[in-house]
Amino acid sequence: MASFILRKAEPKDVSDILRLIKELAKFEEMEDQVILTEKDLLEDGFGDHPFYHCIVADVPKQHQSADSHVIIGFAMYYFTYDPWIGKLLYLEDFYVMKEFRGFGIGSEILKKLSQTAVRTRCSSMHFIVAEWNKPSIDFYKRRGASDLSLEEGWRLFKIDKQNLLKLLAKC
Amino acid sequence: MDFTIRAATLEDCKDISRMILELAEYEKASDQVKITQRDLEQDGFSKNPFFHGIIAEVPEHHKSREGHTKVGYSLYFYTYSSWKGRAVYMEDLYVMPEFRGKGIGKALMSKVSQLGLAAGCTQLNFTVLDWNKSSLDFYLKQGCWDVTSDLGYHCMRCEGDALEHLAQGDL
Repeated sequence: MASFILRKAEPKDVSDILRLIKELAKFEEMEDQVILTEKDLLEDGFGDHPFYHCIVADVPKQHQSADSHVIIGFAMYYFTYDPWIGKLLYLEDFYVMKEFRGFGIGSEILKKLSQTAVRTRCSSMHFIVAEWNKPSIDFYKRRGASDLSLEEGWRLFKIDKQNLLKLLAKC
Repeated sequence: MDFTIRAATLEDCKDISRMILELAEYEKASDQVKITQRDLEQDGFSKNPFFHGIIAEVPEHHKSREGHTKVGYSLYFYTYSSWKGRAVYMEDLYVMPEFRGKGIGKALMSKVSQLGLAAGCTQLNFTVLDWNKSSLDFYLKQGCWDVTSDLGYHCMRCEGDALEHLAQGDL
């Protein structure tokens, strides 16, 4: 299978984007954590100030997936800021459907993201990977990524809405 | 002690730049700060800012030993979780050492939480260095949890030559 195109996601793609988000979450054994809806994706990605950007991988109809999909991969990203080095590109999700792996689609997506990062003068691309996900860690390390948690001791923290509200009540 | 928490303005960039350097020194990495006051002005106060700032200010009679009234800050920006939607990322949180223990850090974090919730965010994320015990304790007390420890997520980075090579499609 040779042909695929990478393009900017459009509002009509939100159904496929959500499907792929859930597939990736299932792989991470976190499918029940996805509460995002198509409506959220539409509002948050295609308004005046989008919260995210998305690239999708599109195959011709004759190469559609076993369950008839032509959008078979995606990457969701946004821009962040490091007060020491400036703009960064943050890769939130990156996924290619299993039956379409090994054709260079993932590499092309990553190349496109890196081009975007360089073009918009970002000094770095950041993302998180689960430490048990050895194939992905190897994929990224082969491309020069470094593990900041291991090398510099950074730990990612989170505070959810319930505790945010408690925090506000205390002050 | 009296203090006010307010949104940062263009005029605050000089003090924000000063405090960024102080925080970098505390993290033993001041040689890594490349961003200047001018970069902050351009990146934070144009039509599409890459970050937002909050300042903690004390009255003139409580100014610091070197005569500063702007004694703490937080830098944050909006991100997106493909599982939960809108999120806020607290990039920096800092209070000058002589003004600690007076609730200023908590008040800054509370303001970021308020703004995040108002913008429809369901989580506040940030990173902490594993040796920074006093910060780790402060955050755990606020109800935060360590995603790196609990879920094994590692922060990864791709920058410099590696980013350029990736953009060119070299392996």
